[in-house]
Amino acid sequence: MYNKKSGIAAVLLISGQLSYANDLNINGFMSAGAGVLTNDDVSAAGYDDDVSFTQDTVVALQVSKQINDSTSATTQFVARGEEDYNTENAWAYVTYSFNDNTDIRLGRLRTPFFYYSDFLEVGYAYNWIRPPGEVYSRLDTFSSINGVDLTHNFTAGSADGSVQVYFGRLEDSFAPVEEAFEIDLRNFAGAVLSLNKDNWGTRLSYHQADVYMPDLMADPTGDALEQLVAGATALGLQDEFTPDGDPTRFYEAAITYDNGSTFLIAEWTALDHETDLLLNDQAFLISAAQRFDDTTVHLTYSEDKDEKQSGNVGLLQNNLRGEESSITLGARFDYNAGTAFKVEAQYIDEELRLGNDGESAMLYSVAVDLVF
Amino acid sequence: MKLLNPLLKCLTLVTLVFTSLAYAETAVIVSAQNANKSLDQDTIARIFLGKSKSFPDGSQAVPVDQALNSPTREMFNDKVLAKNNSQLKAYWSRLIFTGKGTPPKESGSAAEVKDLVANNPNLIGYIDSNAVDESVSVVYKF
Repeated sequence: MYNKKSGIAAVLLISGQLSYANDLNINGFMSAGAGVLTNDDVSAAGYDDDVSFTQDTVVALQVSKQINDSTSATTQFVARGEEDYNTENAWAYVTYSFNDNTDIRLGRLRTPFFYYSDFLEVGYAYNWIRPPGEVYSRLDTFSSINGVDLTHNFTAGSADGSVQVYFGRLEDSFAPVEEAFEIDLRNFAGAVLSLNKDNWGTRLSYHQADVYMPDLMADPTGDALEQLVAGATALGLQDEFTPDGDPTRFYEAAITYDNGSTFLIAEWTALDHETDLLLNDQAFLISAAQRFDDTTVHLTYSEDKDEKQSGNVGLLQNNLRGEESSITLGARFDYNAGTAFKVEAQYIDEELRLGNDGESAMLYSVAVDLVF
Repeated sequence: MKLLNPLLKCLTLVTLVFTSLAYAETAVIVSAQNANKSLDQDTIARIFLGKSKSFPDGSQAVPVDQALNSPTREMFNDKVLAKNNSQLKAYWSRLIFTGKGTPPKESGSAAEVKDLVANNPNLIGYIDSNAVDESVSVVYKF
């Protein structure tokens, strides 16, 4: 009798999926982390020299519903420890499927800057506790976008690929140094090409936006950014240092190898600003991981280098210039399907911070990641 | 000899277990009404990993899994998908939270999977080959 009942339940589930009856999908993920930094003068993922528990702690719930054959609705509520667990919608979109291989999504989406962008906060999906900050944290403010995207999946021989193009706009507050300023990114658009063949994968992407920072004013005693505009005004360079629709471009290229036990990734990125207020930079990471049964050990090097121009512009820009590299050694223990325990030690070397010599520090952290 | 005896018994037992494992074949099945009579491992893996949504003849393909702790499922994951439970979970977590895919529905025991598959030509599942009957056709064995 029991068997028959659960058999019927299973039939209902399957027919529900096929006929799109009451198929509300609920999934979630959670990370609980703790960490401590050996030197307060280095900034690293929001940690300081006393143990804290909020920076890598995040909980998310995703609800999706297939409305009819072609249309589904998805939303993801995320609460982060570092934002006092205020709930935010990282994703909230309607998907329309033209066919099995082509989808259009409208709403709030993850900006697909990076290889890990799509699952940026799903710690369970990668080996680190968090993706290396040198590459990933500089675009944190812009990690979600309001707009539309189109994704097309294709197969070419034995290779799988996808092309994604998007267009949108983002208004937010942005704190490049300390104080936050209003930022408006208009005509925010980009394209991503991913290819996978056997154990190899590549990802190439290009992004651009017109940058406006309407409430940034010259103030010789204000935030480093306001001081910079004041300095530029004194030298008659205020136009160069006031973003008023100046385009910014972002380039990314990644290559991955995964044979099930060995995983390698190299990812290179570059920011190219038309405005002189924000510094062009190049950042990359290279990482290797080896799995032994339920234990994965990984080692990563990453760095970010700001570039300054020559002449007076460069002298001014030097006040914001940073150079940082880090080495991360960590382990992940998959003690149960859906649950992973991670430990990490990261050596962070801030060679340059706001144009001055920086310091170095160790960041020790642990985390538990789960999906449900 | 006293020591050897239990050792021998152990060895015999291990051999027996391995032999029975080797004989416990797993069959990948579709409905007898399904036009596809044979599929290769790659095609099956692509369907179960959500990379392909149709059978070679173009009809819709919907994979169904057995219950999470089923040994047949672990064997299938290992031999056909070449991934363990944790790796699969991580694989799907990359897709679920981007709206790019959902894992196969968990559909209970071998008998339940067989009944479901038999009655729906769009479904594909896997069961112990001893459980196969004429309502389904075997497209792959391992």
